[in-house]
Amino acid sequence: MTDILTLVFRAFSPQTGQKKDPSVGAPSPAPLSSSSTALLVGEHRLSRSVLLLAAVTAASELGVRVAFFAQSQIQSLPVFLSPHFQKITFSYPRTLEQLLHQVASLHESPSPPSLIIVDRLDGFLREPVAGSHAGFHSGPESSAAHLSALLCDTAAFLTGALEQRGSSSAPCRVIASFLSDVDSGQEGRDPSATDPILDVLDRYFQARCTLDQDRSYEAVAAAAQEVWHIYVSGTKDCEEGPALAQEWKLFSFPDEKETLDDPPGGFTD
Amino acid sequence: MRSFLPAVAEQLFRDIQRAYQESTQIPDDLLIALKFVFGSCALQALDLVDQRSVTCLSSPSGRQAFQVIGGSGRLYTCFLSCHYCPCPAFAYTVLRRNQGLLCKHILAVYLCQAMAVTQQESIPDQQMSAVLSGTGAP
Repeated sequence: MTDILTLVFRAFSPQTGQKKDPSVGAPSPAPLSSSSTALLVGEHRLSRSVLLLAAVTAASELGVRVAFFAQSQIQSLPVFLSPHFQKITFSYPRTLEQLLHQVASLHESPSPPSLIIVDRLDGFLREPVAGSHAGFHSGPESSAAHLSALLCDTAAFLTGALEQRGSSSAPCRVIASFLSDVDSGQEGRDPSATDPILDVLDRYFQARCTLDQDRSYEAVAAAAQEVWHIYVSGTKDCEEGPALAQEWKLFSFPDEKETLDDPPGGFTD
Repeated sequence: MRSFLPAVAEQLFRDIQRAYQESTQIPDDLLIALKFVFGSCALQALDLVDQRSVTCLSSPSGRQAFQVIGGSGRLYTCFLSCHYCPCPAFAYTVLRRNQGLLCKHILAVYLCQAMAVTQQESIPDQQMSAVLSGTGAP
């Protein structure tokens, strides 16, 4: 999945091809690009824009089908992107059970997606767990593990199915967004505490993309804009070798924000 | 099942597979190794293997999943490509406490696969979707 994220960041970068790679001297291309599952961790207003850009980039640049799951309906989309929407299927499951069933049913589709996107995992995982859900659940960690494992297993199955058809759109990738309790600034939370749900998600997702707003004096003084640091790193070693890290910087301009709902204004390395 | 296990566990399953193919038995040294690597859940998993509790479900789409009948008679669905089991032991020992690699049900799947004693069952695609999502049983 990180190959599509990298494609998104490079497409919106004024200086393409200047990747900042903290692991100097490591072989290229970065093994991160082979990660097929990525978790976007950070504020929703930015993560949803990145997810939409990833969906459109995958549909337009790679020509692959995308399944986009979100709990709340997307209110507005830029008109100039509409030609690519026919390859994107938007689904709006309201509950975790509905999301699980829709993801579990993807193998029935005659034209399966090559990219599965889930917006706001936390929204699905923090809802009160219905008693009927498999009947075994002991908490949100188990629900997070079930959903993550189902996404990974579905992607693995669809990758095999796409390869069997000789399709060039293999492998199937997964990208999901999550806002940690710790990052959402809930009162009474210890800032140094780790989020147990995020710990579980890290077991299953190969790469993590962290969106971190730069609130330093320099960033504030830079102009009327938001500055975000985007770190892409492996949560575990990929099959091809140890995970590497990439870092990007995003500048968000207020006037462009109105155009693209919450658009990134530009990416630099 | 694609392995997320340490090399020692993977080698152990390979040794069990070879030994079982040759003699339809697991030698004592491998049983001791199994207990050493997986602790108390090794014995419980072997019990599940003896009872032929592991079934590989397949649907016409080609999708597969493992289903294990627990000691209480409950059905636990485990995935093909990564470790997950809806049992309380997996939630507590593996996910919450990080004290174990897997539960007895997933270990039973590995052992049944190594010993080629997994039961096979075909189900319709829609039923497979329900099984995977945890909303239905075959």
